[in-house]
Amino acid sequence: MEKLTALSLLQAPDADAPLPDDFEFGRIPAARSRVASEVGAAMAHELNGPMTALTLYVADLYLRKSWIVDANGDTESLRRIVESAFREAERICSLLHRMGDTFEAPIPQETAVAVARDAIAWWSRTASSDGRSPSPDNRPADDGNRSAKTLTPREREVLRLVSEGCSNKQGAKQLSISYRTFECHRAEVMRKLGARNTAELVRLALSDQSGSGTSTAPGGN
Amino acid sequence: MDISPPQARSEAREPAQRLARVLVVDDDESVTAAIRTILARHGFETEIYLRAYAGIRALQQSAFDVVLLDIFMPGLNGLDAIEHIRRNSSIPIIAMSGFCLRSSAGYGDCLSLAAQRGATCCIRKPFQTAQLIEAIERSQSSFYPAQGSAS
Repeated sequence: MEKLTALSLLQAPDADAPLPDDFEFGRIPAARSRVASEVGAAMAHELNGPMTALTLYVADLYLRKSWIVDANGDTESLRRIVESAFREAERICSLLHRMGDTFEAPIPQETAVAVARDAIAWWSRTASSDGRSPSPDNRPADDGNRSAKTLTPREREVLRLVSEGCSNKQGAKQLSISYRTFECHRAEVMRKLGARNTAELVRLALSDQSGSGTSTAPGGN
Repeated sequence: MDISPPQARSEAREPAQRLARVLVVDDDESVTAAIRTILARHGFETEIYLRAYAGIRALQQSAFDVVLLDIFMPGLNGLDAIEHIRRNSSIPIIAMSGFCLRSSAGYGDCLSLAAQRGATCCIRKPFQTAQLIEAIERSQSSFYPAQGSAS
């Protein structure tokens, strides 16, 4: 009976729903390892920035340890402390590297689009060695009439803010307009430019910026 | 501004290698602050941007010797940023990321993806001062041609 419950949990339509409190980890290794993997990846991700900064600072102290002098005269032990701090930082670094290798991270959606595009290109390159494979890069250009020229000044502003990584909320605040209005502008920009997602929108904005006019919108899925 | 050809630049560099101008793009401010502080101590001039879009614009407006680029950022991500920079510049790009992406197809992690898109070299976060300096100096020691995805 318990087993049945556990099995039906695994087959629940919403696989991303949080596990209930009475879920028995020991019973289902796959589910357990998935949870562990996501927790591990999230931890490694959160620790990465501050650890990078800390390592740089400590490593710099370590490089200059021979210049360190203790005003109270115990220079030797002060230098040993710096050395130890550096060694511990190194240890945490290799720990983080191992965590990154072990756990698979759920990646941000827009990066996933870029990665998937590369994967498709790689696949079509390796799948046929004659070079005539239907690579996504060989699609005929379909962006002839898609141009930022037709945007209103307000829409251009919205496009710029989105390109710079603003969320709808932040963008609305910057332009002193409501969240809804910002969303509408953004939707209109996407419609006019034919962008299907934010990543594509940013790419289009950049091609317009650099004046190259060539769009690299991801291929049709 | 003045974008000198590679030959002229390598001649101008020969007295002291430590004058490279580094464009740093990372959305984590503690990372950029640390990189700026450490690179300043080693004689590098840095300019910091928290978004790839702003970084690419800066690259179009003034001359840099090397770009330090994070991969996972809100807005434009590092992989697409490399692609944009490579359209009209062969400036050395050092990609950095703590993430390791693996797919079931064994396609590879995000740093090798960065290399395929034309990054000159990649460093894994967290890194030490020595690794960072070495990556920058190696990128300056010879002029790297744009590494397309042809390999």
